[in-house]
Amino acid sequence: MFNVLNIVLLLVFVLIFPGALFTSAVGLWLAGVDRKVLARMQHRIGPPIRQPLYDFLKLMGKETIIPHAANKTVYLGAPIVGFVSLAMIMLFIPVGGFVAVSGSADLVVILYLITIPGVALIVGGSSSGSPYAGIGISREMVTMMAYELPFVLVLLAVARKVGGANLVFSMESIAAWQAANGSLLFHWSMIPAAIAMLLVIPAEVGTQPFDVAEAETEICEGPLVEYSGAPLGLFKLNTAMKMFVMTGLFTALFMGGLRTGIVVLDVVIFVVICTVLTILSMTTIHAVTARLKIEHLFKFYWTFVAGMALLSLVLVWFGL
Amino acid sequence: MIQHFPVMAVMLLFLGAFLVAIFGRISPVIRDGIAILIATISLVLIYALIKPVMIDGQIISYWMGNWEPVEGYAIGIGYEVDALGLFFALLVVTTFWLSGIYSLGYLKKDANKMHYYTLYLMLSASVLGLVLTGDLFNMFIMIEIMTFASVALTAFRNKQAIALEAAFKYLVLGSIGSSMTLAGVALMYRVCHTLNMAQISSIIGGEFNLTTIMAFGLIVAGLGVKSYIVPFHTPAADAYTAAPTSISMIFSGMVNKAGVYGIIRMVYVVFRAMDRSSIQILLVVFGAVTMFIGVTMALAQHDFKRLLAFHSISQIGYVITAIGLGTALGLNAGLFHAMNHTLFKGLLFLTAGAVLTATGTTNLDKLGGLSKRMPVTTVCFLVGAFSISGLPPFNGFASKWMVYQAIYTKAVESGNILFAIATITALIVSVMTLASFIKVTQAVFFGQENPENANAKEVPVIMQIPMVIMAVLCVLTGLFYNVVEKFLLAPAAGAALGVSNYIDKMMGAGYAKAAGITDIEAAPAAFSFWNPLVWLLLFVVVFLGVYIVMATSKSTRGRMLEGGEGYDPKYATFFSGEQEEFSQVGGSDLFWGFKTDWKGYYKVLQGLHSGIVTDYASYIVMGAAIIILVMFICLR
Repeated sequence: MFNVLNIVLLLVFVLIFPGALFTSAVGLWLAGVDRKVLARMQHRIGPPIRQPLYDFLKLMGKETIIPHAANKTVYLGAPIVGFVSLAMIMLFIPVGGFVAVSGSADLVVILYLITIPGVALIVGGSSSGSPYAGIGISREMVTMMAYELPFVLVLLAVARKVGGANLVFSMESIAAWQAANGSLLFHWSMIPAAIAMLLVIPAEVGTQPFDVAEAETEICEGPLVEYSGAPLGLFKLNTAMKMFVMTGLFTALFMGGLRTGIVVLDVVIFVVICTVLTILSMTTIHAVTARLKIEHLFKFYWTFVAGMALLSLVLVWFGL
Repeated sequence: MIQHFPVMAVMLLFLGAFLVAIFGRISPVIRDGIAILIATISLVLIYALIKPVMIDGQIISYWMGNWEPVEGYAIGIGYEVDALGLFFALLVVTTFWLSGIYSLGYLKKDANKMHYYTLYLMLSASVLGLVLTGDLFNMFIMIEIMTFASVALTAFRNKQAIALEAAFKYLVLGSIGSSMTLAGVALMYRVCHTLNMAQISSIIGGEFNLTTIMAFGLIVAGLGVKSYIVPFHTPAADAYTAAPTSISMIFSGMVNKAGVYGIIRMVYVVFRAMDRSSIQILLVVFGAVTMFIGVTMALAQHDFKRLLAFHSISQIGYVITAIGLGTALGLNAGLFHAMNHTLFKGLLFLTAGAVLTATGTTNLDKLGGLSKRMPVTTVCFLVGAFSISGLPPFNGFASKWMVYQAIYTKAVESGNILFAIATITALIVSVMTLASFIKVTQAVFFGQENPENANAKEVPVIMQIPMVIMAVLCVLTGLFYNVVEKFLLAPAAGAALGVSNYIDKMMGAGYAKAAGITDIEAAPAAFSFWNPLVWLLLFVVVFLGVYIVMATSKSTRGRMLEGGEGYDPKYATFFSGEQEEFSQVGGSDLFWGFKTDWKGYYKVLQGLHSGIVTDYASYIVMGAAIIILVMFICLR
């Protein structure tokens, strides 16, 4: 495990592909597409697709101001923790046919790693000492509680469907199962779970109407209110990366097994699917809705979305 | 030589209690010295047993006064230390030793420290005796000493009304629990004519008649009161809050673990009922309800220690659920989580004590922004909070993941939907736990500073040492979970499942076989996830790389708004430390968005937690009635 080649390989995985660099690039691409398509839907021209990249680069060059009341280590460390864990999640998700790391239980590891960027945002915002951030983190946390239940139910339904009597939490076996039996999306009992998962994506990423935590008009971007310069840029990048991680997770869970055999082509197809999913689950919903209140958001996720996921779980439980 | 160690560890602690009472008056140094010396010797004696018991697989037996069995009946009190007992003994000695060190700094301002150390040693001795003894009635005696030492320690700061109230509740409710245990023990004596647990186990042989069912129900309910599972949890919240924090740590670290140990010993070893699905479901349902009610109550709390108390209840729910599965993996998971709970909850209580020492309050509405003044405490708290929330790579992640895996495997194997619901409950409770600790983080360590606490200082080194030790243990047991599994969990779980060795050691080789006892096959727990060490290394490398670049690049300190130094209660603070009349959202009410959706549920819970001791007593009787009723229906 500890020989040099493995370490180097792991570092390449984490830093370049499919980790930090690749995830950031695709994430920024998805964020750009999201803004462009949203603009067209609202009958505007919109920014160029590389605008999020420009925004990010500009923020990296700006001065960083640490608030008087802030704890410097936590304040600066939080966005990095989120960034690193997002880069790591991608190692567990099969990108096309490419699996960087495979374990028996990577689904649970993903479930936990995916909460870390949220926690990082909360802890970072909290450490800035601003009352706006205080309200923001409370909403972020309630949002997390809201989507976690349907998310867990979806993952359990997938594990049960793929594993049958044996429990399967391995992304690789899920992909293999789908290659043999067709994508999970085309099994009718999994369709409610897929819809639930599509609705979990915008809440996890924090796009309208589920952006209560960062509501610009009410609480000045909540947890981010005091952030500036490089840490703010990293948080913006984290949001873009989350878009890719979540749509990528959906693709791997429900549309895995679509393989041509050529890795590069598979990766391109994977990114295309993620782009379509971004437009479907985030841009469209964003264009046609207004921001929810936090208590409505919570109720929506624990009734409708969780209900959909539960429906799938029950169907799968009875072997359908 | 080695067979004297367990009994010496217990006797020394009792002796120490008397020594402190007699010589403690002479000088504070002698008083503290005796207490710490005795606690340390006891710690060493128990740790010395790791090699023979855990690694070599011995079982140590000791007959008090050399009263060995006569004509096949155990008449004397026997101590019997197998891996299960030693596992809990290790938790017990670690907890009271660290608590003792912490007390040295923590009790600076209290009078009557002599009484404190006397009772502290009594409590430690009784819990250690409880987990090491092989005699049912001796176990009851230890429970009694434990209860009364706990009551007295709860009331230690008896100038405060809440301490007396909590102690009164604990006294009444704890006595009900003890009485139920006593009644159960008496019934067992009537049936088996012996009080030795090994012999009882072989006499009843896993079969039940009406008397033994009644006894089983009473003993399990009595131990349930000691481990504070819902609906027996009511005394815990007050007692944990009112007791000195070093004692709260002992309560959550070892007193309720003693109840858990008792339940494991009863259901797996003495009554051997865990192959029956009815008992499994009973325990899993009680466990799931406990974890859910515990965590939702914790979300509504406004006091640091009270919040931790409800989390203690909730985490014990995980343990009970896991051990209730009756599988080797479940037992491993339950023991691991029990151990981790001792570590991270002890750590969290210690940080609460540090906050109390520094600021004089644990009220979440009056705290805030302490991270700059108390950096060590803050880091320790964050380690504890991430551990209890189950974030990787801390120990809570490893044990909770084991618990989920155990429950869900059981659900799939048995096809019972109840286990699937328990899995989902466990996962959701974990998120709520995280939410609740985010609230504490915001209200105590981050957020805006309350000017009243402007002169708060970091606690003395003697109090930091136990915190840092526990924080390090939280990280190490999370990273090296496979070492823990191999040397502590697997032997302990094997001891609970392999009953015949336990019986043979006490009653003579071949005794179990003659009584027709067969062991449950302790299949090696198939448990693997990832290699956290590599990941942590990677995480640290990347994190440090980026952090150094960021921290060394140009950054400016922000300024406060003019007049920001002056304290106007209306504008100065908003989210932590603000006063109720200025805002509809309290500083510790971070999750009102969630709570408005759950209004009805909280109203019911609030009504149930009325604070009236007669109500609580009736819950205990009802809970016991449910347990006994279910057992009568299912075991006959």
